[in-house]
Amino acid sequence: MGELFKEALEIMRYHELLRNLVIRDIKVRYKRSVLGFAWVMLNPLLMMLVLSLVFSTLFKGTVPNYTAYVLSGVIFWHFFSQGTTMALLSFTGNSDLLKKVYVPKAVFPLSVIISALVNLVLSLIPLFVILLITGTAIRYHVLLLPLGIILLSVFAFGFGLILSTVTVFFKDMIYIYGVLLMAWMYVTPIFYPSTIIPRNYRPIFSLNPLYHFIEIFRGCIFLDSPLIYEHFAYCLTFSALLLIAGWVFYHRYKDKIVYYL
Amino acid sequence: MNTPATVSIGLTNVSVHYRIAREKRRTVQEFVIHLAKGKKIEYQDFLALKELTLEVSDGETLGIIGHNGAGKSTLLKVIARVIRPQEGEVYAKGTIAPLIELGAGFDPELTGKENIYLNASILGFSRKETDSKFDSIVEFSELSEFIYSPLKSYSAGMVSRLGFSIATEVDPDILIIDEILAVGDEHFKRKCNQKILSFKARGTTMLLVSHDMDEIRKLCDRVLWLEQGALRMCGQADHVTDEYLKAV
Repeated sequence: MGELFKEALEIMRYHELLRNLVIRDIKVRYKRSVLGFAWVMLNPLLMMLVLSLVFSTLFKGTVPNYTAYVLSGVIFWHFFSQGTTMALLSFTGNSDLLKKVYVPKAVFPLSVIISALVNLVLSLIPLFVILLITGTAIRYHVLLLPLGIILLSVFAFGFGLILSTVTVFFKDMIYIYGVLLMAWMYVTPIFYPSTIIPRNYRPIFSLNPLYHFIEIFRGCIFLDSPLIYEHFAYCLTFSALLLIAGWVFYHRYKDKIVYYL
Repeated sequence: MNTPATVSIGLTNVSVHYRIAREKRRTVQEFVIHLAKGKKIEYQDFLALKELTLEVSDGETLGIIGHNGAGKSTLLKVIARVIRPQEGEVYAKGTIAPLIELGAGFDPELTGKENIYLNASILGFSRKETDSKFDSIVEFSELSEFIYSPLKSYSAGMVSRLGFSIATEVDPDILIIDEILAVGDEHFKRKCNQKILSFKARGTTMLLVSHDMDEIRKLCDRVLWLEQGALRMCGQADHVTDEYLKAV
């Protein structure tokens, strides 16, 4: 049991490395583009534009503010897909380093989730601007938004630990996950209203953790969500489960990773 | 493990197995095919270190010699905790700075300064510690003119100069050197040698892998001769290097 926590403590000692990796990630990603960091906010806005042009007539009337609905979906999805995809690559992508210097390896998936989190927080700015422009009231549940985002990040980190470890042993995971993510996006109400899900399918949808996370994400900001506390309970359970499962899984294989890189 | 205070590094019966590269990168497809055929995947085991037991005292400089593939780099990686041996126990006291490959973990897009902070944190040092060493790192590397330029504009020699400066200025308890004294021009090489001598004088424990027997004799108190992952001979530097040269 003690072994399990040793590396967690070690990561805290390496907080400086964690900080530097997050900063590097943010700095380097947009360094070569003309607009640079503005892309963090511009990207979801452009996606929103495309999706609302395509779907707004289709979903008109089912959702009060489709523009905000789709923008929040895009921001949410971008965080999850970017964070977990980068986490998936975080051991194989740093193999040069991992083969030469000792660091607590979990620092890499953790750092990419944190940098995705920074992006998420920044892209909330255009979302709130859109809400302001369209005159949509922000719910008092917004006070719970930080908790929702933290739970989502914990979930993504636990999941990312599994993905990154599996990828070391099965490189195909990179391609499999791309397809899996696409399928996952379609079964999650990202750009379609969750109300169009037929009632008898709801229990199946409840098995999708991201369904609950997106519900609390929107419910905390602007959308009326009568079952928000129920969704919170689901999210808390899923985050705790994935964090434990991810950590145990990573811990089980971490000493073998360098041999397979 | 009961280890007296004067021991800096201790290895007990350490064995490291590698799997042969061909089989090591499995894809799911291969895995499924193998599974479907009911065949177990065959691994060819390669023993990189064989039941090695070793003790290095505080402040000692140990040279490690042997042919290519004798397990020298594996031994360094085991001590630096990069790989965990399948068998045996490893003990190492204090901070370890590996000069295994200079600049592992450098990012070409970041400036020299940013890379100093990044690299020092990879070695486990805090920002404060790096702050206080920053000037001496830059000074030793002789790169003050370029310290705000991205690393991709550096030459290979400049990159290794920076790597050497970081790993040595942060003042580790154990310094691991894997044939890096050949980097840089004559002027910098001389500086590196002096630096290493000053570490020796200060009582830093050092491990040095080299094929240059003169260097080994000059710097090392004791020499370990590895052959096919096993200890062939260990003892006084002059004696072991003489025997080694006789044997090759």
